[in-house]
Amino acid sequence: MPSEVVSGSIDDSAEEKESQTDYFTYVEGVGHIPRDIYKYVESDPMGDLPRYSVHIVIQHFLIFITFILLSATGLPIYFSDVFWAPYVVSLFGGIESARLIHKLSAFTMMFATAYHIGTIGAGTIKKILNKEFDIRRTQVPRPKDLLDMIHDLKYFLGLEPDRPKMEKFMYKQKLHYLAIIWGSFVLMSAGSALLFPDIMAKLFPEKLGNLLPPAATGEGTYPAFFQELARLMHADEAIMALIVLAFWHLANVHLVPGRFPAQWTFLTGRITREHQIEEHFLEYLNNLREIPAEREYMRNLLKELEVARLRLPPPQEASDV
Amino acid sequence: MITKGNSIFAVLSFLMICVVLSLTSVAAAADKENCLMCHKYRYMGRIDDKGKKNNYHVDENTFSSSIHRNISCRDCHTYINKIPHDPVTEAVNCANVCHIKPPFAQEKFSHEKIVDVYNKSIHSIKTEDPEIQKRAKPNCKYCHLNPLYFRLSEHVVAYEETLRRCFNCHTERGVSQAYNHITHRLRRKTSRSPQEIVALCAKCHQDVALMKQLNVSPRALDAVESYNRSIHGKLVRLGSQKAADCISCHASNILHDIHKKDNRQATVFRDNIKKTCHQCHENTNSWFVQVAVHPSVKHEDNPVIHLMNIGLRFALYGSVLGLVGLMLFETIGRRRDGIKMAIRNGTTWRGKSKRRSKK
Repeated sequence: MPSEVVSGSIDDSAEEKESQTDYFTYVEGVGHIPRDIYKYVESDPMGDLPRYSVHIVIQHFLIFITFILLSATGLPIYFSDVFWAPYVVSLFGGIESARLIHKLSAFTMMFATAYHIGTIGAGTIKKILNKEFDIRRTQVPRPKDLLDMIHDLKYFLGLEPDRPKMEKFMYKQKLHYLAIIWGSFVLMSAGSALLFPDIMAKLFPEKLGNLLPPAATGEGTYPAFFQELARLMHADEAIMALIVLAFWHLANVHLVPGRFPAQWTFLTGRITREHQIEEHFLEYLNNLREIPAEREYMRNLLKELEVARLRLPPPQEASDV
Repeated sequence: MITKGNSIFAVLSFLMICVVLSLTSVAAAADKENCLMCHKYRYMGRIDDKGKKNNYHVDENTFSSSIHRNISCRDCHTYINKIPHDPVTEAVNCANVCHIKPPFAQEKFSHEKIVDVYNKSIHSIKTEDPEIQKRAKPNCKYCHLNPLYFRLSEHVVAYEETLRRCFNCHTERGVSQAYNHITHRLRRKTSRSPQEIVALCAKCHQDVALMKQLNVSPRALDAVESYNRSIHGKLVRLGSQKAADCISCHASNILHDIHKKDNRQATVFRDNIKKTCHQCHENTNSWFVQVAVHPSVKHEDNPVIHLMNIGLRFALYGSVLGLVGLMLFETIGRRRDGIKMAIRNGTTWRGKSKRRSKK
């Protein structure tokens, strides 16, 4: 069914045509889609189009819960000298149980991470075998993301007429995803070093100490250095993650106009049509190719809008794509 | 015959006896020589030649619940040999032999052995010490304040159950005390909580001005501060009873053998530290023991960590401010695009809501 729709030539046409032609994207069987159609579409706040599988939703939920628990139990330990620390610790029934909760949450989060890697790995293999794999629909950063970001910043300054046409994951999300990969690696390795200092020290056997330049007794020894590093990195990375999530991620999905009061994607796994077209236009074209009902909806909407003369008619050059 | 009046009388007299017994039992054993005849008065005291006020009041209840409650006053205050006694010029020597005989021992009890250990430790007052050090060093009484001996809440030993079995043969009063006395060292290294130990040691060791006067090493100068920065210190501050306090590492089970790090007898001496860590950390090796228990992020101690700390601060503020700035910038741009903050049908979606169109 979806094979009759051709959308592969969008990128080529975008490069060849001038900026005015960029405004319309022709999809066979649907018509000329204006870039700012997202202002006119109907949206269900619970989401119209598929974005995340149920596995991703579960993983997000696990990470969400464990992150809150880890922050709530970890912060009072790091800031043990501030006045609220004992109160927060007492909420968890004392420091020993707070530590236990911290460790259990950490293991749950590591499980969720492993689950995520498994999901992504298996999904990728499945797609490669089915010859459906498209690197543009993944989180892998590409040069286009940098160009998109520049384009977007220009748009926010009023120098570009429309927002860039972005893939399923835009520059912001790829940046965040990379940060999560780095942060998880640091937090897990440093946290393990703090939890198992003896095993950590065993990783640096005495033979290695003989090979390395002699370190003075006391400070400046290798295990001491790595333990110090773990202490520093674990706390610093955790606080960075917490602040970024509290001030950026939550604002992006809850507070900014158009997303308030909540974006329900994290529970439903579906994205609103409006959001998909605005920030993930190229993924929307994929949706049009894959979902006949969506194609039907867009065709009718375009007809309706043309009847109402809300939009300019498509320019002549764009129609011969 | 037991009549009603008789039984009431019996109950009342029993209660009366109980009340009288419980009143008289306080501090009865301790004060054989009737020192409390004078010392029970609350305002008994003297202003000495220098104008210092001294209070010589002895609280009966406090004394009777202290560990020394069964020792008569003159066992420690040996220099008193008449009543009323002369002004006291001598301090109590804890190494004195007192008239208590411990069970299964022939000689009389004395703290001599532990005083010997203390005398060898770093805290002992030596004749060659300068005056300032003599004044700063803690004597027995500095750390050991009565009442020290109290019953702890039990987790490790099933106190009540074990004790109840003793009552099968022994009388309650004697065996409870003996049991408590014998087992309280088994249950815990000290009868003080880690928090109390840290507070006790920190009282002097946190006083940087005093420590500077005493010429301690730079590492010892910030010992309390660096301990508080370690995971042990943080957990103890938050109420942990498991985490290591000062004497967990700096003293063996004798508790008074605190030595300098370079003394061969010190628990933190290079060759002994593995054994010391092993008390809690099961897997220790010669690399593990190099991990700093008193971590320092000072430039001179750890330049790489110090620089990384500064670098990470910049990364933190940079990324947070950058991302929040991006979000605000984006919001301003999108508002120009026509998006509104106003909520319609429960959302701020710009387009028509499906929910509304379905109505």
